[in-house]
Amino acid sequence: MKLDWNNYDPGPFYDELMAAPLQPREASYRLVDYLRNQTPARFQQCVQESEAVIREMGITFTVYSDAGNIDRAWPFDVIPRVIPGEEWDRTEMGLNQRIRALNRFIQDIYNGGQAIKDGVIPEDVVMQSKGYRKACEGITPPHGVWANICGSDLVRHSDGIMYVLEDNLRVPSGVAYMLENRNITKRILPEIFNLLSVRTVRDYPSHLYDMLASLRPELEQPVIALLTPGIYNSAYFEHAFLAQQAGLVLLEGADLVVGKDDYVYMKTISGLERVDVIYRRIDDDFIDPEVFRKDSILGIPGIMRSWKAGKVAIANAPGCGVADDKVIYAYVPDLIRYYLNEEPSLPNVPTWVCRRREDRDYVLEHLPELVVKPANESGGYGMLVGPHSPPDKVEEFRRLIQDNPNNYIAQPTLSLSVTPTATEKGIAPRHLDLRPFILSGEDIYVTPGGLTRVALVEGSLVVNSSQGGGSKDTWIVDESDSGREEDTEGEDES
Amino acid sequence: MMLSRVAERVYWMARYLERTENTARLINVHTSMMMDLPKRMEINWFTLINLFNADDIFRERYERVTEKNIMQFLIADRDNPVSLASSLFSVRENVRTSLDLLPDETWQQVNQAHIQLNNALEVIGKRHTRLNLLRSLQRACQCINGVIDSYMSRDHTFDFMQAGRQLERADMSSRILEMASLLMSEQRSETMRKYEGILWTNLLQALSARQMYQQHVQPRVRSREVLKFLVLDEGFPRSLRYSLVDIGKSLGNLPEPELALAMQNRILAHLKKQDLNFSPDAPVHALMDHLQGELGELHAEISRTWFHPDRDGQMQSQ
Repeated sequence: MKLDWNNYDPGPFYDELMAAPLQPREASYRLVDYLRNQTPARFQQCVQESEAVIREMGITFTVYSDAGNIDRAWPFDVIPRVIPGEEWDRTEMGLNQRIRALNRFIQDIYNGGQAIKDGVIPEDVVMQSKGYRKACEGITPPHGVWANICGSDLVRHSDGIMYVLEDNLRVPSGVAYMLENRNITKRILPEIFNLLSVRTVRDYPSHLYDMLASLRPELEQPVIALLTPGIYNSAYFEHAFLAQQAGLVLLEGADLVVGKDDYVYMKTISGLERVDVIYRRIDDDFIDPEVFRKDSILGIPGIMRSWKAGKVAIANAPGCGVADDKVIYAYVPDLIRYYLNEEPSLPNVPTWVCRRREDRDYVLEHLPELVVKPANESGGYGMLVGPHSPPDKVEEFRRLIQDNPNNYIAQPTLSLSVTPTATEKGIAPRHLDLRPFILSGEDIYVTPGGLTRVALVEGSLVVNSSQGGGSKDTWIVDESDSGREEDTEGEDES
Repeated sequence: MMLSRVAERVYWMARYLERTENTARLINVHTSMMMDLPKRMEINWFTLINLFNADDIFRERYERVTEKNIMQFLIADRDNPVSLASSLFSVRENVRTSLDLLPDETWQQVNQAHIQLNNALEVIGKRHTRLNLLRSLQRACQCINGVIDSYMSRDHTFDFMQAGRQLERADMSSRILEMASLLMSEQRSETMRKYEGILWTNLLQALSARQMYQQHVQPRVRSREVLKFLVLDEGFPRSLRYSLVDIGKSLGNLPEPELALAMQNRILAHLKKQDLNFSPDAPVHALMDHLQGELGELHAEISRTWFHPDRDGQMQSQ
């Protein structure tokens, strides 16, 4: 592999690390400079070592269709992605604002729906959301917070602005990989940390624990469990990792039972023991066969009863997925203004809602230029990327929209930013996004950075690991603090 | 029958082995922590030198306090008696002269570790290669301990090794725990308070105790609980109390252990009566200092009783 930073060309896209060919951005200067000075052989060694470290640390994810070989090594790119501290502070404020509004919205929707009455959002838009759970009406979870763990996807367009692409409120995943990515970088490029100051992500597990504990403020030391669908789930590695790091009991639905007193108990070798908080990593559809899907074998019959009685806290609260909907997404800026009386500080991607007549007409007219998404899919499934699709696929979506306009939204095709990535052909630009994680309980915590996902295939915009995406360590770099103290001078860099 | 000379060798072999592993882990964990912390803080590279009480000898030998010099001193410098190179050299010497008693694999493992360290001495100025070296040294020590644990009969050889291992462990732990007094000081900076969680977690990791603490005490890392756990826990094999109890068990198997046991009992009793309600002004530093002195006395007694019954009070220097 040749290591040619001189010929690196991001093309028409905004580049996260480079301001112009040969010229790194201010916050990435030290990183790029360091990498540029490595010989190709040394760089290649880093890449190989990262692969070895990932296997050794057993960082895996699971692909359902890979029968027989369910664990795949985590695809990781060694070149970190850098965000200046100052920009991040603003982004963090925006994420904080957004989650407060979303939680106010969910609370409102299940308790009277003032926003609907005030005409901020149409009732049928709310009701069509697949995440709406009638069983949740009238409930107020602890602190009035429903989405305790949120993973919002951010993308940067060619205008250099970071947009919110979607808010994952159901069971967002990826945070374990954010933590492990940092661990990998610390192992393969430890010298770099000497040259600049990178905000640490290491205390996420303790913030997670504190947030979960805050859902039962009346208990001195609540018993907190992480509920996993089991060892075949694609995110099982993450479930086990988080339980281990944060000190949670890792269990499956079959380990739990709801007692006659409506408390939730786990089956232990010394009998039944109460569980006070459940961090669930299964969809709420499956959580209680008495209330939701009857065929669910993952869930715990009666747990909704227990939750409603306040005898167990569940994070995220059942029903919080109502706001994880691509049509409702379009209304979030209005919801921020309505509930918080603030201007949104993180922009939405401009969105046409096909249920509105004028929007739909525009969409149908400009279909080949647009990205069309169904309201309730995730993982990049079931969508149309106009400019990259053959005419028959475009026509298929035209029919879909005409048949069921309420289920679709459309957005301009964003020109996602790129970042230098190690490929077989050398350092090359690849598209990326960013998923920060936001914890809300008594307080709000935003991870410094988050999980950067990168499309490893040239030109591709799909960053999902199940579809050929990889990931990068994400650095929030504080410039004011970029010089190293004297006592580390003289580090041998030969 | 067991020769005093032989007993002394296996005892020291186990002590040096424990020291090697603990030192390697300490440096590794500390380096990882330094990558997480902002640059100006009370805890820095020199903290490591403080932990080994090696300020004077370091300053004698090095002009500048740099990461590179500190690492050279702690890893490669044979003139530093507590460097990894010195410890591992002593492990090897003691194994070489006790080959008849130890499982075969011990010798091979020790040689491998020794070769690894010597091959890497040139490149420890680089964090990357240095961290890899430390990790493989830790692994080598775990391997040797595994061989000893699973292959050796529970005889006097084993008892001396076990006593040496736990005595060294207690000594090292008490040094690492001195860091706690920095973390609890009323005068600590705002930055330090901000990173408290990470610092205490780091302390647990330096003693391989994070998971067991979370499982047996509570998931939250709280200063007072951490300190109590590392000093007084009865079930964790790296707590000070456990080490001392274990030393007592091993010594109790040996002939005429009364004097040594009396001393071991005295230390344990002193530990147990500590009111570990660790307020910020708790004399953690004084306690650890005292403990190190007492462990030195206990070693002297072991030496008098079994290694040099013919002379008074002399011992091989640490």
